[in-house]
Amino acid sequence: MDSKKVIVRFYRFKNRLKEKTAGLAPGKTSISTDALEAAEKALNKMSEDYPDWVSGLIVKLQEQHGRCVDTPEKRHEFFEEINHIAHDMKGQGGTFGYPLITDFADSLYGFTVKKPGDISDNQIELVKSHVDSMRAVIRGRVSGDGGEIGAELAKSLEEAIKKYADK
Amino acid sequence: MSDYDFDRVNVLLAEDSPFIRSLLVNSLKVLGVGNVFAVEHGGDAIHFLQRVKNEPMRVGVQQIDIIISNWDMHPIDGMMFLRWVRRHKDSPDRFVPFMLITSYTEPERIIQAREMGVSDMLAKPFTIKHIGEKLISIIERPRQFVHTKDFFGPDRRRQKLEHAGPERRILTDKSEGVEIIRG
Repeated sequence: MDSKKVIVRFYRFKNRLKEKTAGLAPGKTSISTDALEAAEKALNKMSEDYPDWVSGLIVKLQEQHGRCVDTPEKRHEFFEEINHIAHDMKGQGGTFGYPLITDFADSLYGFTVKKPGDISDNQIELVKSHVDSMRAVIRGRVSGDGGEIGAELAKSLEEAIKKYADK
Repeated sequence: MSDYDFDRVNVLLAEDSPFIRSLLVNSLKVLGVGNVFAVEHGGDAIHFLQRVKNEPMRVGVQQIDIIISNWDMHPIDGMMFLRWVRRHKDSPDRFVPFMLITSYTEPERIIQAREMGVSDMLAKPFTIKHIGEKLISIIERPRQFVHTKDFFGPDRRRQKLEHAGPERRILTDKSEGVEIIRG
């Protein structure tokens, strides 16, 4: 099979569900293994991972960060949105094999929870550090604990937290 | 509906609202669906499918026949779940019929879901009759799957319209560059 030339593949499987529900041909309800193997082979090339579809959320975080810089008087509003996105990401990372995303999102979630008082510039910087760390995880596809790279990313985020966590 | 026996059909349902979840479970049971596995969001659904793949005996099901999922859920919504099912290497069955439930009926949302490979959509609010009709449509009118460089999912062309003129489509089944996998 010269896969370079294939522009489109059509998968035409027999109607397994119909056989199952109409009670036809009991025991003969599976798609042929040959066909499944051929399909699997072709499809594996397309296989996507969490990083392919989380970048939209990271862009949203970046946008909110930009707004915090531009419109300081509305920071509470933007923090609420950041907090909401962080909450989702916190719940996603583990499922998709990116626990570092969960860790960083958890930390971001923690300090964006609604509190009385003004939101300082340092806190805005801290949002940026988190977004940057997440972006690094996604760009480098640092799955699992990420080994050395993971440890380094976690460490530099910790340093940023120390530096900016003035209050 | 007496022609159909849904008793051997396994449905996975992902819905975060307990009220709608129980409504759907009951509706499916009333329609005669044998097994409904209900989970609370896309993440639980993905874990469930991974377990079906890795330890089917333990879960008590070999294969999920139809997935019904809400769109708006946290932390993993229906679109992300659909994307995982269609495109992730760990997905146990990329061809499984996938129905999204949504109150978003704006055309752009529907197109977004279609481009991600949804099989059908169920608009809220729904009735048992709607659910039954959708099930029958999934069973009676399955579409071929199409895989191009930027799309994978059930054929977006649902109708087969007769066309009187000459064939003007660039690609037909016999064209070079078209591969058909049958099974």
